[in-house]
Amino acid sequence: MKIKGFLKDVTGASRVTKARLAAFENASPVPEKNDPIADVVREWHPGKLDLVVTEVRDACRTAKTVRFERADGKKLPFFYAGQYMVLDFEIGESVISRPYSISSAPYQAREGRGFVEITVRRSKGDGFIADFINDSVKVGDRFRGLIGCGQFYWESLRDAGHVVALAGGVGITPFASMAKEVADGKLPIDLTILYGSVSSDDIVMKQELDAIKSDRVHIVHVLSGDEPGWQGERGFITADIIRKYSAPDTTYMICGPQAMYRFMREELKKLDAPARRIRFEVFGQAKDITSFPGYPKELADKTFNLTVRRGIHEDVIQAKATESLVVALERAGIRIETGCRSGECGFCRTKVVSGSVYVCPENDGRRAADRDFGYVHACAAYPTSDLTIKIPIE
Amino acid sequence: MKFYKDHYDVIVIGGALAGLSSALMLADKGKDVLVLERHNLPGGIATSFVRGGIEIEAALHEMMSIGSKDNRLKVGKFFDDMGVDIDWLKVPEAYHASFPGVEVTLHPGLERFAKEIDEVVPGTYDKVLRLLNLCNTVFDSVNELSIHPMSKAKMLIKHEAFVKTAGYTTAEVMDTFDLPQKAKDLLAPYWIYVGSGFSELPFTIYSVLMADYVGYGSYIPLKFSHEMSLKMAERAEAMGVQIEYRQQVDKILVKDGRAYGVRTARGDEIHADYVISSAYPNKVYTSMIEPASEVPEKALRMVNGRRLSLTAFSVIMILDRPAQELNIRDYSIFRGDTMDTDAHYENLAGLGPYKYLTCICHNYGNPGCTPEGTCSFSVTVLPRVDGWKTVKAEDYDEVKHRVAKQLIDDMSAYFGTNLLDHVLEVVIETPMTVNRYTNAWNGCIYGYAHTMEDHIIARLQTAEAERFIRHLEFSGAHAISGDGMGPQVTNGRKAAKNVLDTMAEEAAK
Repeated sequence: MKIKGFLKDVTGASRVTKARLAAFENASPVPEKNDPIADVVREWHPGKLDLVVTEVRDACRTAKTVRFERADGKKLPFFYAGQYMVLDFEIGESVISRPYSISSAPYQAREGRGFVEITVRRSKGDGFIADFINDSVKVGDRFRGLIGCGQFYWESLRDAGHVVALAGGVGITPFASMAKEVADGKLPIDLTILYGSVSSDDIVMKQELDAIKSDRVHIVHVLSGDEPGWQGERGFITADIIRKYSAPDTTYMICGPQAMYRFMREELKKLDAPARRIRFEVFGQAKDITSFPGYPKELADKTFNLTVRRGIHEDVIQAKATESLVVALERAGIRIETGCRSGECGFCRTKVVSGSVYVCPENDGRRAADRDFGYVHACAAYPTSDLTIKIPIE
Repeated sequence: MKFYKDHYDVIVIGGALAGLSSALMLADKGKDVLVLERHNLPGGIATSFVRGGIEIEAALHEMMSIGSKDNRLKVGKFFDDMGVDIDWLKVPEAYHASFPGVEVTLHPGLERFAKEIDEVVPGTYDKVLRLLNLCNTVFDSVNELSIHPMSKAKMLIKHEAFVKTAGYTTAEVMDTFDLPQKAKDLLAPYWIYVGSGFSELPFTIYSVLMADYVGYGSYIPLKFSHEMSLKMAERAEAMGVQIEYRQQVDKILVKDGRAYGVRTARGDEIHADYVISSAYPNKVYTSMIEPASEVPEKALRMVNGRRLSLTAFSVIMILDRPAQELNIRDYSIFRGDTMDTDAHYENLAGLGPYKYLTCICHNYGNPGCTPEGTCSFSVTVLPRVDGWKTVKAEDYDEVKHRVAKQLIDDMSAYFGTNLLDHVLEVVIETPMTVNRYTNAWNGCIYGYAHTMEDHIIARLQTAEAERFIRHLEFSGAHAISGDGMGPQVTNGRKAAKNVLDTMAEEAAK
């Protein structure tokens, strides 16, 4: 065969080798460390940051807003209105993390000194972190936090320009962030928030929301309690009320307590909106795991031995059948990375080496192959026998 | 608390396809291996994610070098040999080529492919088949020579086509076949899988590309590329490999010109006889070697003398209709305003509008992969890093949405269906996304460009002289075989082989 001529054809390999060596000889020996792509990533996703509390204020009778700035004085990362942050709490021997929707707007994180805020309601006995935030957090306290997590935000390539937000109680927080961003001209949508509360002095962030002046933001309070003199909407947020505030093409975003999700799913079915127009924030850690279908109720009062492998190290701890693996680990002071605590984000992906677990069906966000090999998201998995797991070293 | 052993035979930095292939091969030979992966799952970009309850492929379009069950190619055979049992699905077509004046779907099999081109450009069957057969001959030589090296004189007799085409670009060899432009265009679409225009791309690489993909077809795992990555990791662990996730390696420890361990971001110092790095040589030689004085000047000249190849930008959607209702009719569509690969390569240096789009509808290869009544559809461009290096953090979101919208709008116009009216889920992957999850240098997924100045044959010739630090090997897209998920297995095996060979040599001394 012939391409260009015998001699040229048969010397190809040595020709290209010489060319390569020559290119290197002519190259600079100065280390080129620049990676501008990684620089952008650092500004969007810097990982866990040291944060300092710079303000604590009442968000209503039963909730507080906590403001954080970056401890090192650098700029806070970008995020989308509606996203949450994960905060680490070191309480006694335990390291516990919690996700909280950011209630301040993205633009506020980047302007001036920059801050992010969360707004947390005092619990009715089931959330000692919520009470800790309301009772004990003060200006100057320091926390580690991961800012800008989750998929609950308006996406221009997917969502309608008219958004009806359905908020229940402290579920207002992601929408408060969105409302501020819209009012500042940074988010190009018309936002109507249907905001359900029990009584008017229970409305989280009411003053702040009422102060938002924008013809693209409308806040409609809906009170379920029997309050004399209330002029606004009453009852629950039903399909009728939702229809009243909808445009022909509307995206519905829902955030609130778990009971509200079950109610809303039924109401939204009456609207005939396509599936792509309905977006729920994650469900949260299941309030009572024994109430879910298929849960082995006969094991509910059992406690199991949980062997935890990290590298070649092993610990044995106790794990209650009604508490997720994450809670058992945190209680024992073993660090595990968590995000949404709803089985979605996968931060707490864990291998079950032996033994069995129950996975909360509302919160099973696993990959198919992971299921085949016994991986679980530890925030949504509950022990049903003695078991051995392997988790990353933190 | 002690999380690591005092000593390992080999530490592998990075638990993606290359690193896991190294680990499998070393474990198979009884070596004590530690894999450190910075993310919390294996695979790097060979992975999947879940949105709205639907699992979505992150990166894999189609795997090369797998072959059918009774006629495995080298990567498929390696998986079989290692006991990594993957549910492979055969991709039903090579590609649908779409450029002005041409709409045709071509299928694998050299003769069938040539025949289908002949139907579009009559009278080209013999020439096209001759070209494809030449590719196949070169491909066979590459495979054989990678196992049985031989003298140049012997090579000229036994592997004449390989030797005589080695010094030429794809354009130079293709020109000798005197094909009409349209036939050449139909032979061009796969160029994007190797990332250099035909005026630069070594014909050797083109040969391997065409012989492998067209000759044998391509495959995807049933449960996305995460199935492949996870099964490799699980098998490696079953063979005794220790894999630790969420462990980023910051430093490679070197003394007297020889690597002896690593230090992680967490602060663990771990010792081993050998280190295999999936981190780019650029990163290793500029900021990972400790002490920096152990980096020879030649290593810096080498990384500065190479050109980074392509990165990736994908907009991946779950659409709320079956594919056919949206006029999406193919697994794989390559669409361009021309099929001039050099023009495309220029276009990829910018930030769009991009002119050469690669689309995948996984449902045609994996029918049950999305819920009833929906389909998965992605549009990908593989830009050079140049344009993306100019994007500032504050503009990033705007740029990524602008580019994503261009890709969706272009394909909507092509299908005559506004895809934006059907988006159930959408994810935009950018060079920044790649960097975020894998730490790849400049977000580059393709390693170094295949050019005549950085030819694979030259890489092989100079490989020994470029092992600048003893007991430190590299595996990943930046290694000899370059980009692609299939080649990562080959790159990983090569690094493991270097380690095993060195072990044997040193034991013999």
